[in-house]
Amino acid sequence: MLAKTKSYALNGVDGYEVSIEVDLNAGLPAYDTVGLADTAIKESKERVRSAIKNSLFTYPIRKITINLAPADTKKEGSHFDLAIALGIMIANEEIESNIYKDYIILGELSLDGSINHVKGVMPLVISAVQNGYRKFILPSKNAKEASYISGIEVYAFDKLVEVVDFLTGKSQVEPLKTSEFVSMQSANRYNVDFSEVKGQFMAKRALEIAVAGGHNVLMIGPPGAGKTMMAKCVPTIMPDMTFEEAIEVTKIHSVAGILDSSVGIVVSRPFRTPHHTATIPALMGGGASAKPGEISLAHNGVLFLDEMPEYQRRTLETLRQPLEDGVAVVSRAKHTLEYPARFMLVASMNPCPCGNLGSKTQECKCTPSEIHRYVSKLSGPLLDRIDLQIEVDSISYEDFRSTIPNESSKSIKERVERARKLQRERYAGTSTKTNDEMTNAQVKAYCKLEADSEAMLKNAFTRLNLTARASSRVLKVARTIADLEGSENIFANHIAEAIQYRSLDRKYWD
Amino acid sequence: MEYDNDRKALIMLSTIEGYNARRKKFDSVERPSELYVDYTLADKMIESMQRQGVGLITILDEDYPPRLKDIYDPPLTIYYKGERSLLNNENLLAVVGTRRVTAYGKNVMQNFIPVFIRSGLCIVSGLARGVDSIGHKMCVENNTKTIAVVANGLDICYPHENVALQNDIINNGIVISEYPLGTKPLQFHFPERNRIISGLSKAVFIPEAGDKSGSLITADDAIDQGRDLFVVPGSIFSSQSVGCNKKIKELQATIVLEPQDVIEALGYDTKTMEKKVVQLDFEQQRLVDMMKDGKIHLYELMEKSGMNIAVISSALTRLEIMGVIRKLQGNYYEIIPSI
Repeated sequence: MLAKTKSYALNGVDGYEVSIEVDLNAGLPAYDTVGLADTAIKESKERVRSAIKNSLFTYPIRKITINLAPADTKKEGSHFDLAIALGIMIANEEIESNIYKDYIILGELSLDGSINHVKGVMPLVISAVQNGYRKFILPSKNAKEASYISGIEVYAFDKLVEVVDFLTGKSQVEPLKTSEFVSMQSANRYNVDFSEVKGQFMAKRALEIAVAGGHNVLMIGPPGAGKTMMAKCVPTIMPDMTFEEAIEVTKIHSVAGILDSSVGIVVSRPFRTPHHTATIPALMGGGASAKPGEISLAHNGVLFLDEMPEYQRRTLETLRQPLEDGVAVVSRAKHTLEYPARFMLVASMNPCPCGNLGSKTQECKCTPSEIHRYVSKLSGPLLDRIDLQIEVDSISYEDFRSTIPNESSKSIKERVERARKLQRERYAGTSTKTNDEMTNAQVKAYCKLEADSEAMLKNAFTRLNLTARASSRVLKVARTIADLEGSENIFANHIAEAIQYRSLDRKYWD
Repeated sequence: MEYDNDRKALIMLSTIEGYNARRKKFDSVERPSELYVDYTLADKMIESMQRQGVGLITILDEDYPPRLKDIYDPPLTIYYKGERSLLNNENLLAVVGTRRVTAYGKNVMQNFIPVFIRSGLCIVSGLARGVDSIGHKMCVENNTKTIAVVANGLDICYPHENVALQNDIINNGIVISEYPLGTKPLQFHFPERNRIISGLSKAVFIPEAGDKSGSLITADDAIDQGRDLFVVPGSIFSSQSVGCNKKIKELQATIVLEPQDVIEALGYDTKTMEKKVVQLDFEQQRLVDMMKDGKIHLYELMEKSGMNIAVISSALTRLEIMGVIRKLQGNYYEIIPSI
């Protein structure tokens, strides 16, 4: 008899239905998988046979043909094991009930018949729900992930036997309870806090502005100035992720296989720090199976590039397009995939290769051409996408025994959230979410300047040697500063402050 | 411009490497035209010079800079691009120094050069990285003429990043070279070039120089040529001040502590500039008052003024735009001295 079970396969962060057709034929005992299956699926032969045998069922001594339809897309992964095993048992008339037809089945088998954790459950389930499926059979270890999606029945199992008992009606199993999404508002899950960063007021203020307006930041300063520490604190002042954002992130992390299965959903904003030896596929996504890269894993969070000029120039240049569009397009011979990649870029660099340029205590040993080479690793178009460039100095804060309070992340975050709210209201109905994403038309409409501010901006350009491309960047940052203040108009002092954060444009190295 | 056979001979002579070899040949005859019979090479070179807008002053010319003519080894040819008459300016001051300029050296330049410019001095330098470029740039930005003496043919720019600067100087000043078009910046050209820098000038000013800095060669040339040598002392621990300090130790140079020292020594009036009147508001005035005692760090300003970071950075930028203060590296601020 012929059996047809249903499963899902991944294509980027979306899934598509795969029906698994199992037929038992007369002939010499054999096991053939067709439908462009990869090695992991072909190897399922051994897992499936042992799992069925060790669960004390009968494995048919027949010629078994398995077809994964649609037959023209490449399928990979071990999550078809369970559907194949059930298909064989149904074809072998071990399971006689028909209710299996309503279920989407995902799970990898162990030789002893237990069901293992698989990757990509969240995106697969979401795609299936969009296609009208409501019932799922999943490994218990992935149950948490699926439980955040409401309106579906998820049945989670640990063993093949349990699934068979359930499908034949021998045992009753309750569907999983839907988990409530609790944002991380209540607890600080980041282990760091801005109150621990002493001094560095200008850098902290710049990071606050950056987060409030969704701007990218570059921190320039000598080693030991606290650049990495501050970057780590950035997620602590970002607004809490909404459920939709959390789902987006979880889908990507699930596909990449780095999701914590005990939590099942990503609740805190990701903070990714790829090493500077990272290759283009590692950053952008790719490889034979077109996996999401670091920039996609940083979606809705922070991508921190420490020592930015140390990265290969080609690698850095690939960031330009995602920074603009918010998606990483991965093209491979077999498929072209799009992964979301809307992240905040936080980069850091030393002022020169030895790091001591401009230091009061250490002497810079770099030659001018070394410094020139170092700085020119960052191309104009890339710097163009970094709105705030700030100088972080290594001054010892204790020198001043300062009484200026170090604000906690919580109070900074409150201001950020107020500014974000203003932006949401302003850009309601458009694809723009933050000031950073403003189109030219929006800059014209929302960044109107009074005559005196206009004059000051012009003055600043000649006086402070600002480069021409700084203009719209300064306006966007000034818009965010005004938003932080709750001001409808951009005033001269907002512009003045925005100019303060354009270190590179002010020909820092001259 | 037409070139006679004497000048054509000098052009051909300039293709010989090494000043002494050129000079020996030049001195061996009464008139340079006796040296050659065939001038096709010179004609070709003149054609490409005219195509590229390069002019020539030879030692036979009336307007050859008199001060330069007086030195022991004056260049026989000066190829130039820009304003020819500038070389005869009386008030030339050479500013040379290290290529690896530190914050200190930069600071010195920022304090000294504007005063020199205002007093009517014209800066001569070598278009090298560091002190040279900064000096030229300050002139260009100030719309003041400046002279660059380079160690290669005028169709080449070395270092390459100064292409734009070289063009700016050609448009408002003059770039000169002893070498014909197409000459590469070979190592031994630089000491030869340095003698022209000091030879043209009344005095040489060195804000910062390392132990083996090429500017020390210029300094030695200046002493040989009887020019005044002014150096700014630096920290005894700074490798980029070793050269300057050595000159002081060897009693070969005049120590300068402020720009007026140079100007007065050269016999100029320290021109009193009309003070700029700027209207400061209360907050700005407070900040400026705090900077009266020298440079001050941002945090100290915050601490003393009690202003928050948003207010203070906006106020500081405004002061910068007004030209009252400037930002130094490492978030320090200071008042721009008005002379």
